[in-house]
Amino acid sequence: MNASALRSPWPWLSALALGLLGVFVLYPLLYVFTASFLGEGRSGWLQLVGDGHSLAAIGNTLVLACIVTLFSTLIGVPLAYVSARYRFRGKLLITLLPLITLVIPEVVTAQTWLMILGNNGVVTRFLKGYGILLPSFYGWFGLITSMSFIYYTYVYIGTVAAIGKFDAQLEEAAQSLGTAPLRSRLHVMLPVIRPAILASTLLVFTMVVGNFAISTILGHNVPLLSVAIYQAAVAEGATNLTMQSTLASTSVLIVMAVLFLNRRIIAKGRFEIVQGRGAKPQPLRGMHGVLVSASGGIVVAVSLLPLVTIAVGAFTASRGPVLRWGEWTLDNMARVFITAPGPLVNSILYAGVATLISVMFSTLVSYLVVKKSNLVTPFIDYVSAIPLALSGTVLGVGLLASFNDGFLALTGTSTIIVLAYVIRRMPFGMRNGQAILHNIPNSIEEASISLGSPPLRTFLRVVLPMMLPAVASAAILTWTTTVSELSASLLVYSGGRETLPIQIFRLIDSGLMAYASAYGLVLVAVILVPVVIATTMFKVDLFASK
Amino acid sequence: MGIAISNLSVRYGAETVISGLSLDIPEGCFFTLLGPSGCGKTTLLRTIAGFAPASGGQIRFGGRNVTELPPHKRAIGMVFQDYALFPDKTVAENVAYGLRARGEKGEGAARKVKAALDRVGLGHVLSRHPAALSGGQRQRVALARALVIKPQVLLMDEPLSNLDAKLRVQIRETIIELQREANITTVFVTHDQEEALSMSDLIGVMNRGKVEQLGTPHEIYATPRTGYVADFVGAANRTEVPVRAAASGRVEVDVAGSRLLATDSLNGPAERGLLVLRPEDLKISATVVSGLQSLPAVVRGRQYLGSRTSYSVECAGGLVLNAEMHGAGHDAFQPGASVHLGFDPAAARVIRS
Ligand SMILES: Nc1ncnc2c1ncn2[C@@H]1O[C@H](COP(=O)(O)OP(=O)(O)OP(=O)(O)O)[C@@H](O)[C@H]1O
Ligand SMILES: [Mg+2]
Repeated sequence: MNASALRSPWPWLSALALGLLGVFVLYPLLYVFTASFLGEGRSGWLQLVGDGHSLAAIGNTLVLACIVTLFSTLIGVPLAYVSARYRFRGKLLITLLPLITLVIPEVVTAQTWLMILGNNGVVTRFLKGYGILLPSFYGWFGLITSMSFIYYTYVYIGTVAAIGKFDAQLEEAAQSLGTAPLRSRLHVMLPVIRPAILASTLLVFTMVVGNFAISTILGHNVPLLSVAIYQAAVAEGATNLTMQSTLASTSVLIVMAVLFLNRRIIAKGRFEIVQGRGAKPQPLRGMHGVLVSASGGIVVAVSLLPLVTIAVGAFTASRGPVLRWGEWTLDNMARVFITAPGPLVNSILYAGVATLISVMFSTLVSYLVVKKSNLVTPFIDYVSAIPLALSGTVLGVGLLASFNDGFLALTGTSTIIVLAYVIRRMPFGMRNGQAILHNIPNSIEEASISLGSPPLRTFLRVVLPMMLPAVASAAILTWTTTVSELSASLLVYSGGRETLPIQIFRLIDSGLMAYASAYGLVLVAVILVPVVIATTMFKVDLFASK
Repeated sequence: MGIAISNLSVRYGAETVISGLSLDIPEGCFFTLLGPSGCGKTTLLRTIAGFAPASGGQIRFGGRNVTELPPHKRAIGMVFQDYALFPDKTVAENVAYGLRARGEKGEGAARKVKAALDRVGLGHVLSRHPAALSGGQRQRVALARALVIKPQVLLMDEPLSNLDAKLRVQIRETIIELQREANITTVFVTHDQEEALSMSDLIGVMNRGKVEQLGTPHEIYATPRTGYVADFVGAANRTEVPVRAAASGRVEVDVAGSRLLATDSLNGPAERGLLVLRPEDLKISATVVSGLQSLPAVVRGRQYLGSRTSYSVECAGGLVLNAEMHGAGHDAFQPGASVHLGFDPAAARVIRS
């Protein structure tokens, strides 16, 4: 770098970005890592080995992640295959699935399952009336069922994309050589789309490891890692950081190991995926068609269940934890908007500010990384990807421990909630920004500069407008995910700063399902309204960066 | 405003792409950088523009040292291979962009934009977006955009390489006209020798980060100073030969067992040299043609090309030369035929090997 390079704004902005990332991402992570070794007297890792409950939590989490990954794959891959290759009744609904999971927060899903199959659930009580006792939905049964029906969508999306790129000619070639259709599929297509499937299953694995909402609501007597971290962090007099840090570090290490594996698979897959024309979907009729439509329909129905349930629950009267189905009321909604509107206001405020900061930061930083690379930009790139390996709970623990006091005391402020939101969604914004920037040739900027426009002005006048569609879609997606964020904010929030998911979580904890439904319904609306406005009025393509 | 480059070096990391390059481009000159892929043409152009920093040496625009000046202050006009039009702006906005950056707005700017687009025949597409233009139209918008700001120097990096052959010739003419009109010093990068020869006042033939020969199109073609230039610009038969000095700018060379005369371009005494013969300067005939020196040869191969025929002929000692015949009966010689290969001493040059 020479003197003239330092006269441009980019090196300074890079340094600033790296500084911010260092303080707000690297420092909390290192703080947690070091705390795990510097136990009072004994290293946290030694304590861990002797702690049965924590070991069980780790073991259970890994088992749960494996099982859910397996089930998600068993649902997601066949569904993807039939919807990519065949036409049948109700196919449109199945292609809408990605949007459904996008808008239903996990905490709402968990709540819904409880309202149906929990101790006071509709079905439970109905069957009890006939003397049939269902097994408790709390524990493995509930965890596996509810998680599988959320996470299969990631496998579904990944597989559909891979099949779309797969050249049907390869398959036809195999058939023309005398292989039967099903065998040719297994032999030719599977190896080609396998990397994509594997990558999405590993993603599911990490999401299960990091899952907090469902784990804590449905887990009950099954100890799980993220719940254990949360409990260690909020336990009465949790001044001892050692145990929570050690558990948090364990979570980070598991996720990092899986992400590393994922990277290698993706790197390999890039060469294996054949670009070509996708196959034209074949119509499915008769028995097969009915079968496919029916099973697809069941999956969709189960995915949609939360929406229907909370919509009904929000207007149903209740006495304590017991819902009086069929008795309608507006009391629950009145509470959300009139009696206790705090969570609604907070959610909109925090998520709005976080979305704004997140989009601005990730746009600028991805610009630096892609277009103005210098000595520090590779580090910016790495550090900004770190949050991928941090579950919300781990991030919450890190922020809470690092900024409790000392040079930057943020505990008990709204800032720390916004900070948690921004950090959690940053890798997503970065990836989105980088993808679009790679498609903008350098010559566009050079043209602007050669016409006499200084670098910063060029960025604002030429690059930014070109990034706008992708930035808008990133903003929408960031909004939807921050509004429903629970695990990190639950750790760092303080009294009076409850958000909608936090409020729902607390209401579920107290068994007040009707109120929870009302808040849940409003939460879904808060998520959906900007999506609908953006896609219909401003024609924002939600997947512009793809 | 002329461009003076002295002792310029450009490095990418550890790799030196341009080293110790000096070049003088007079004011109003249409200068072409010609060279093979990877020789550093784009790098040199981008260093002149200021996008690739020089690691040593100096660049002056009309006496003013601009080496340390950031590109947006160099008052250059640039035309890119991929046009680099702003896709979200209309044609008029694209052209107005440089004027706005100079604080020119309103009525006056709009008039200039219209005039610039009229000049390239695109006054009717002002409010269209670049996506709705053909490749040739985009290229002309890019040209108008670069010229409307009245730059001191115009820099173009293979601006015609994305166009089809017919269009290329057309836009070539537009570029030349506009350049002459504005009398603007222009650096034009290409690896197409026909483009270079037909458009330029001066050509610099580049090889591995150096300007190997600087000269007018005629000088470059007719009197290449190195074997590399001879071969890169036009085709040339090259063979190493022993040399003996002869009278008045001529040398005697031994070729395929014959002793012949050639033009001395050795720049000093030498024992051996490189004999350069253009295929179109070799005449094939059944009998010896008076007034030309000749070599006996046998036709080995023949390529009929419509307006001409390209032969490969073998002389004594296995030396194979290419010869091109034009005019009536240019395809008359059959493979296997014994012929005579005639040429004028003025058309045969001996350069340093
Ligand atoms: N950004 C860069 N970093 C490192 N090396 C580079 C960079 N840009 C160019 N080079 C190297 O510098 C040399 C000259 O490249 P340059 O682009 O100037 O060639 P060119 O003559 O324009 O070729 P072409 O006709 O193919 O465009 C090449 O060897 C190239 O690999
Ligand atoms: Mg080039």
